Amino acid sequence: MLHDYANIGMLLVIALLFPFLALGASYIIQPRRPGVEKSMPYECGVDTVGTTWVQFRISYFLYALIFVVFDVETIFLYLWAIKFQQLGLAAFIEMFVFMMVLVIGLGYAWNKGGLEWK
Amino acid sequence: MDDLVYTIAFYILAAITIASAIGVVTKHNLVHSALLMALCFIGISGLYVLLQADFLAAVQILVYSGAVAILIVLGIMLTQRRSMENTNPNSGWPRGAAVVCALLFVVILIVIAATPWHYSSSMAAQDTPSVLARLLFTDYMVAFEAAAVLLLAAMMGAIVLAKGGEEK
Amino acid sequence: MNITLLTSEIAIICLSLLIIILDLLLPRFETRRSLGYLAAAGVAGVFAYTCTQYGVSATVYQGLFTLDSFALFFKQIFLLAILLTLLFSFDYVEGLAKYQGEFYALLLLAVAGMMIMASANDLLTVFIGTELMTVTFYILVGYQFNSSKSSEAGMKYMILGSVSSAVLLYGVSWVYGCTGSIVFEQIAKHANTSLGMLFGFGLIVAGLFFKMALIPFHMWAPEIYEGAPTPITAMLSMGSKVAGLAVLLRMVFIAFVPMQAYWGGIVSIIAAITMIGGTVIAMWQTNIKRMMAYSSITQAGYMIVGLLSADASGIKSVLFYAMLYMFANVGVFATIIAVKKHHGSNEIKDFSGLAQQSPLLAVVMTVSLLSMAGIPPMAGFAGKLYVFSTVIEKGYLWLGLLGFVMSMISVYYYLNVTKVIYMNEPCVQKEFIVSQPLRIAALISLLATLWIGIYPGPLAELANTAARSLSIL
Repeated sequence: MLHDYANIGMLLVIALLFPFLALGASYIIQPRRPGVEKSMPYECGVDTVGTTWVQFRISYFLYALIFVVFDVETIFLYLWAIKFQQLGLAAFIEMFVFMMVLVIGLGYAWNKGGLEWK
Repeated sequence: MDDLVYTIAFYILAAITIASAIGVVTKHNLVHSALLMALCFIGISGLYVLLQADFLAAVQILVYSGAVAILIVLGIMLTQRRSMENTNPNSGWPRGAAVVCALLFVVILIVIAATPWHYSSSMAAQDTPSVLARLLFTDYMVAFEAAAVLLLAAMMGAIVLAKGGEEK
Repeated sequence: MNITLLTSEIAIICLSLLIIILDLLLPRFETRRSLGYLAAAGVAGVFAYTCTQYGVSATVYQGLFTLDSFALFFKQIFLLAILLTLLFSFDYVEGLAKYQGEFYALLLLAVAGMMIMASANDLLTVFIGTELMTVTFYILVGYQFNSSKSSEAGMKYMILGSVSSAVLLYGVSWVYGCTGSIVFEQIAKHANTSLGMLFGFGLIVAGLFFKMALIPFHMWAPEIYEGAPTPITAMLSMGSKVAGLAVLLRMVFIAFVPMQAYWGGIVSIIAAITMIGGTVIAMWQTNIKRMMAYSSITQAGYMIVGLLSADASGIKSVLFYAMLYMFANVGVFATIIAVKKHHGSNEIKDFSGLAQQSPLLAVVMTVSLLSMAGIPPMAGFAGKLYVFSTVIEKGYLWLGLLGFVMSMISVYYYLNVTKVIYMNEPCVQKEFIVSQPLRIAALISLLATLWIGIYPGPLAELANTAARSLSIL
């Protein structure tokens, strides 16, 4: 068990080290000549207008919410898929019912404009 | 050797989880709180790995650190304000809250110490998703289908409340 | 596996899904009244079907979901409650600006959650059922989009309800840690009285007491009852409370039998505080929905008194009380809705002169309130008699006396409303409209309350059968 996770641990360590190394190296070797233009927040070459914290539309939130619902569904679907052949017909029907309930939900969201981007 | 590694890993993960959980409560900026909460979820998923519940750990990262944390950040973005300073103010009685929490902590410690725990001698399941799949699709079938209905109700409710409040 | 045991739940969920689909197909500005009729007809059909299921005692899948007369009795309470609530809320729903179809669908899903709770025989199914019910209620409480009070109530209920669910879940994890199982029979087999087990049990019970709104877990009730749409207030006070009671009864008498030595003292104290607190605070209320919130807190206190006797006659008295409590609530809330439609607010003074405007509703309101107060010959008298006589037999004389005194005090504020109805002159002179379905619901409640009060025999017999089907007893 432990050795399986040792690889993941190694990856994690390297992944953590890498940005620190890169940023640290640039911190050490960079020339420091700050100017007004350089200190400004950069937005595609255009000066920023207004505050950065603006109210987002509710549709973002609905998207995220529907995503969470189907994210959870994926987990159940995964469990079912890996044992599909042993579980047999009963599980197939159960999963079908589960999907149908959520498909109705998706249809509902679609019809009510939960997926619209306007 | 293995035991030592497990112990060290446990303490590191526990420290990350607890520190970030404290940060969620004490940070004054709501966005920082939300991000620390994602870190807290990751720490918990590490603890699941140590408990040999690898599938649960993956789910924890996928659903909680992935989807739920995003949902909360998006929820914060729905509110309009000039800056995020002081969006997560402390309650009026931080001392009172601290005393209550400390009392609860002491009670739980006493309960843990006083309970005779039974240690399971059986090996942990190697292939946890298969075991979970079998349980979910046979024994817990009713709960599984009810979960689908619950998800549907939550989704409908979110749309109804969001759209209902929107177009006045 | 016997899927037919799940028929009533499946039917309710399918009905709800059908309403969602039909709602999508109907033209946007069409009234959704037809969907309400469909829901009521469907629920009536399911109720008729459940009547044929008595005597069954079987489980689906390793005993995680069980259907016995006990579960059936509770399911029938929920089905009757939703049926009568639907009848008196057609007009109310039609007054909603939008999302009328979803209102019916979500109500049915809440009832499905309650039915799952009544049958659940393991802690996971209990949790899912509870969540299905409460998540739906979070949405429904905030359903009046133009009212900030309703939105605030929905928000508060969601936060407090999530905390209570978390407490319940934490308790479940402790019980699982101590016994290695979440199935009620297995818990009973491995149960010990270690501190950890008691801690877990305490947390679970606290979570359920929150759903039942017992003092000191009642803080949410008044505000949320006041802010929620009235049909939802009715369902909260009938459904949520009684469903919590169903889970509590099954859990305590099957899973946590060894805990009963510890349980008596705490429950008797909570019951006493609840009865006193609910009654005393209710006297000061000027809003009828707030008054009903405190009244329902008190009623929940009476109901858990029956748990103390810990035998079939005690459970029987609780079941009996839950049923008549439901009927009395229907009468009160039907009248509240009619008066709200007439006056536009929920103050007690709005009931002035109801006797002249609608004699039927005045009688229904009076009978229902007196039934809650426990005045003979209303059903409440028989219910209180059963509850308190069983508990006095078990040596809780003081609790019986306290319950008696509190019932007498509660007559004061119930009669206060009656006084306003009969003595005062109507303040607004315009025609008082009572729709036909509302009239039917009110009549059913009136007849049931009087009938149970005069002939308690048949219902007591049914409750007795249900109580005895809890296998341990």
